Amino acid sequence: MNSLTKASTLSSENISVWFGQRQVLSDVNLVFPANKVTALIGPSGCGKSTFIRTLNRMHELIPGAGLAGSVYLDGEDIYGEEFDAVSVRIKIGMVFQKPNPFPTMTIRDNILSGLRLSGRKIESADEVVETSLRRASIWNEVKDRLNDQAISLSGGQQQRLCIARSLAMNPQVLLMDEPCSALDPGSTRRIEETIKELSSSMTIVIVTHNMQQAQRVSDQTAFFLADDNTPGGVVEFGATEQIFNGPIDQRTNDYVNGHFG
Amino acid sequence: MSFAPRPSVQPWARVNKSRKSQIFLASVLPLTLSALIVFFTGLDQNLALVGVFLPLQLVAASLVGFLAFGRRGVGDSFLIVLVVFLSTFVLVLLVSVVASLVSQGAKAFSWTFLSQNNIYVSNTTSLDFGGVGHAVIGTLMIVGLTTIVTVPLGLAMAVYLTQSQSKTKGLVRTLTQAISGLPSVVAGLFIMSLALTLGWERSGLLGSMALLPLMLPTVARVAEEALRLVPVDLRYAALALGAPNYRAFFQVILPAAKSGLVTAILLGVARIIGETAPLLLTVPINNGTSWNIFSGNMMTLPAYIYGYLASVFEPSQNRAWGAALVLMILVALLFGATRLLSRSKSLKSKPTKQKASK
Amino acid sequence: MGKLQGMSEASVTNSAPVRRKLSAGPLSRGDKWFFRTASIAANFAFVLVALILIFLFIQALPAITSQGLPFIYGTEWNNSKDPIVMQIGPMIWGSVLVGALGVVFATPLAISLSYLIVFMLPSRSAKAATTLVDLLAALPSVILGLWGLFVFTPVAAQWSSLLNSYVGWFPLFQVSTADNGFLGSPFIAGWIVAIMIVPIITSITREVFSQLDRDLINGALALGGSRLSVFRRVIFPTSSGAVVGGVLLGLGRALGETVAIFYVLQLSFDFNWAQILEPKGGAVASMILSKFGEASEEEVSGLIAAGLVLFILTLGINFLASVIVNRAQPWRKI
Repeated sequence: MNSLTKASTLSSENISVWFGQRQVLSDVNLVFPANKVTALIGPSGCGKSTFIRTLNRMHELIPGAGLAGSVYLDGEDIYGEEFDAVSVRIKIGMVFQKPNPFPTMTIRDNILSGLRLSGRKIESADEVVETSLRRASIWNEVKDRLNDQAISLSGGQQQRLCIARSLAMNPQVLLMDEPCSALDPGSTRRIEETIKELSSSMTIVIVTHNMQQAQRVSDQTAFFLADDNTPGGVVEFGATEQIFNGPIDQRTNDYVNGHFG
Repeated sequence: MSFAPRPSVQPWARVNKSRKSQIFLASVLPLTLSALIVFFTGLDQNLALVGVFLPLQLVAASLVGFLAFGRRGVGDSFLIVLVVFLSTFVLVLLVSVVASLVSQGAKAFSWTFLSQNNIYVSNTTSLDFGGVGHAVIGTLMIVGLTTIVTVPLGLAMAVYLTQSQSKTKGLVRTLTQAISGLPSVVAGLFIMSLALTLGWERSGLLGSMALLPLMLPTVARVAEEALRLVPVDLRYAALALGAPNYRAFFQVILPAAKSGLVTAILLGVARIIGETAPLLLTVPINNGTSWNIFSGNMMTLPAYIYGYLASVFEPSQNRAWGAALVLMILVALLFGATRLLSRSKSLKSKPTKQKASK
Repeated sequence: MGKLQGMSEASVTNSAPVRRKLSAGPLSRGDKWFFRTASIAANFAFVLVALILIFLFIQALPAITSQGLPFIYGTEWNNSKDPIVMQIGPMIWGSVLVGALGVVFATPLAISLSYLIVFMLPSRSAKAATTLVDLLAALPSVILGLWGLFVFTPVAAQWSSLLNSYVGWFPLFQVSTADNGFLGSPFIAGWIVAIMIVPIITSITREVFSQLDRDLINGALALGGSRLSVFRRVIFPTSSGAVVGGVLLGLGRALGETVAIFYVLQLSFDFNWAQILEPKGGAVASMILSKFGEASEEEVSGLIAAGLVLFILTLGINFLASVIVNRAQPWRKI
C-alpha cells in the first residue's frame, strides 16, 4: 500500500453548534490522532452527524448554521482566515450516508471528478483511477467497465466508488457519516475491511449507529448524547476497548449495552 | 377456440350482474331520454343539456349509488357526475379549438402558403398566391433573439433561487411569480415608452425586448423546479470533494438537470411564440420578407393572424386560420418536445431507483 | 448550566461561547463571480418592475397632468374635443367585470379537473389529462380570439338568449333589447377569459390536492364518508387558501388579457355595471389595442397611462396571489 500523503492529526476545541437560535452541540473537545480510526456513536439526534460536518466545513452550507470553537488540522485552525472551505475539503474528504455517485458520469469520470471539480491538472489519469479503486478494494469488480455509468453499480459498489472518489484527492483525513447504513451486511463487511486498510495511510472518523461496527473498525470511540431539549455533547471519549468494556459513565454503559437508543 | 373461464386476476373488480346492469342503465338512460326529448319536442339542445340531461344523470347516478352503498353512495355519485361533467366540458372546449383550427386551417395550408410572403396579395387574392413565409421568419428571428437573451438570465435567476443562501430568495420568487402575470399589452407599452423616451425607431429588436419580461418568469420558474429536483446530496458530494460552487454547478448539477432545463427553455418559447399585443405595439408590420431584426418592418405570425382575422373576405379569413394552424403546429412541436424529454428522463431514472434501494 | 454536569470530557465553559462568523475564509474568485452574476440576475426582477413603472410614468405624464383624476373614473373618450378628453372608468370596471366572470366560470371547472386528475384517474390517464390542460395553457391568445369570434360566439349567443328568456327577470341577465343578437357581451368575453385561466387555477389546485395527506382522506372514506362529504370537510378546507391564491393569479391574468377578447367584446365608454348579456363592455387592455392604430400623440400618452393603471392593478393582485400561493405551499419554501 503506497501512502501518498502523510496522515494528519485533527482536533476539535470547544465546538458548539447552532441552527438558527437552537443550540444542538455544546463544547465538543476531541482529538483524532493520525492513522487512527475514531468512531462517533450515540442515539439519533445527538448531534454526531452535525459534528462530523463541522470537521470539513460542510456544516456551514446549511442556512442558519452557527458555530463556536475551533477545529485544528495539524495545529492550524481550519476556520481561520488563512484557510478557505475549498482547501479544507480537499484535505479532509467525506463519505456520505447514502451512496451519491454523480449519475451523469461514468465510473472513471466519477473517480476523476474530484480533481476536475477542484480545478487540478490531471497528469496520469489511468494511474489515479486504478490506485483509487484499488485502495477502495473495488478495482477487480469494475476494471472492465470503467466507462459504464456509475449508477449501474449496486448500492454497496456505489458506496465504495464514492470512497474511491474521495481517495483520488489524497485526503489526509477521511470523514464517514454512517457509510453503511443503507447497505446490506456483505457490502458493510467489505467497507469495514477497506476502512482498516486505509487507516494505515490516513486519519479516519466514522459516525455509526452500529455498535458492533464501532468495535470492529475503530481504535477510539466518542459517545454523544443529547438530553431532552438540551444541546448534545460528548459524554465519554476513550479507547474503544474501554468504552465498550469498562465505561466510566453510567449512561455510556446503558447505551453500549443496548438499554436505550 | 373454447371459452374456458379464466380465473379473475382481480377478484375485487368483480361486480355482480344486477349491479352491472344498473350502472349500464344509469349511464345510458339519461342520454337516450334527453336525446328523445330533444327529437320529439324540438327542445333546444343547449337547454336540454343542462335542463334535462344533467339532472337526469345526477338522479340516475345517485339512485345507483344509493342501491349500492346507501346514503354514502349518493354523495359519491353526485360528486363524480359533477366532476366528470365539468371536466368533459373543458375537454370539449379544447377539442373544439383544435378541431376548428385543423379543419379551417387546412383550407389554406399548402407549401405555397408556408413558403411565400404576402407582397402583391390583397384582401381578395385567392389562396394560390401568398402565404406566411415572411411571418414565420419574423417570428423565429424575434423569438430567437429573445430566447438567446432570456435563457441565461432566467437560468441565473434559478441558480440564485436554488444555490445561494441569500435571504431575499422568497421575495425574488414571489416577485417573479407576480411578473408572470404581467399583461402582455403592458410589456408592449413599456418598450414603446422606452423607445419614445430614448428616440428609438420601432423594429423587430423592440419586439424581442417586449417579449423578454413575458418569457423570463416562465424560464426562471421551470428552471428552478428542474434544479430543485437534483438531489442535494450530489451538490454536497461535489462540495465535499473541494469543488467551488460554480464548478459543482456546471459539472454536476447542470448535467443532472439538463432535460428539465431544456424543458424550461421550450416552455418559455411556447409562452411567447403566440404573443400578439406586444408585437403589434412595437414591430411595424410588413408584407415582404425581412431578415433585418435591427431596423425596418417585420412580420410575425400573430400579427399576421391579427391582421386578417377581422376581414370580411373569405380568403383573408382563411389566411388567418391557416396562419393560426401554423402557429399551433409550432406550439405543438415545442410541447411535444418537452413531453419526449420528460419521458426519456423518467425512463432513465427508473433503474437508478431500483439500484439504490437494493 | 446543569445540563453539562457529568459530561466528563466536555469541560464546563465560563459563559456562552462566542459564535464565529462562518464562511469567513475567502471565497474563490470563480465563486464570487458565480454568485454575483446570479444575484444580479435575481435583482433584475426588481429592476424590471422599476423600469416598467418609470418609463410608463414618463410617457403617461402628459395625459396624467392634463386629465387629472377623472381619467380613472370618467366615462368619455373624445379626441375631437379641445382639450382632448380621455377617461377610462368604464374600461377599468369592464376589465374587473370580465375578469370576475372568467373567475366564476373557471373556478368550478378547474377544481373539477384537479379532483378528476388527482383523486379519480389512474396515474396514466391522469398524466394525459395533465398534458391536455397544459396544452390548453399553451394556446396562444390570438388563436383563442380567432376561435372565439368564429366558433364560440354563435354558440354563446345561443346560450345568452336562452338565459335571457328563462331567467331574464334576474337583473344580471336583462338586456335593453334582444335585437343585437347577444353578441359582444361581457358574458362571452368572460368565457374566453375563463378558458385561458382554467389551466392556471388547475395547476395550483392540482398541486395542493396532490400534497394532501392521502391517509387522512382514505381514513375519512373508511369511516363511511362519501366523496362529497370528504371533499367538503377534508379536501376543501385544507386547500382553500392555495385555491384562493390560484384564483387570484387567474384574475390577474384575466385583467390583462388583450387579444383574445379584443374581437369578442363590444367596447363602450358607457358604464355597464352588471348586465352581462348586454353587448357593451370594457377592457383596458383591449381598449389600448383598439385605439393604438390611429392614436394621436396625446392619445398615445393616454393609452400609456391606461397601461400604467392596468400594470399597477395586475401587479398588486398578482403579488398578493403569489404571497398567498407561496404561503399555502410550505413544501416549496426551501
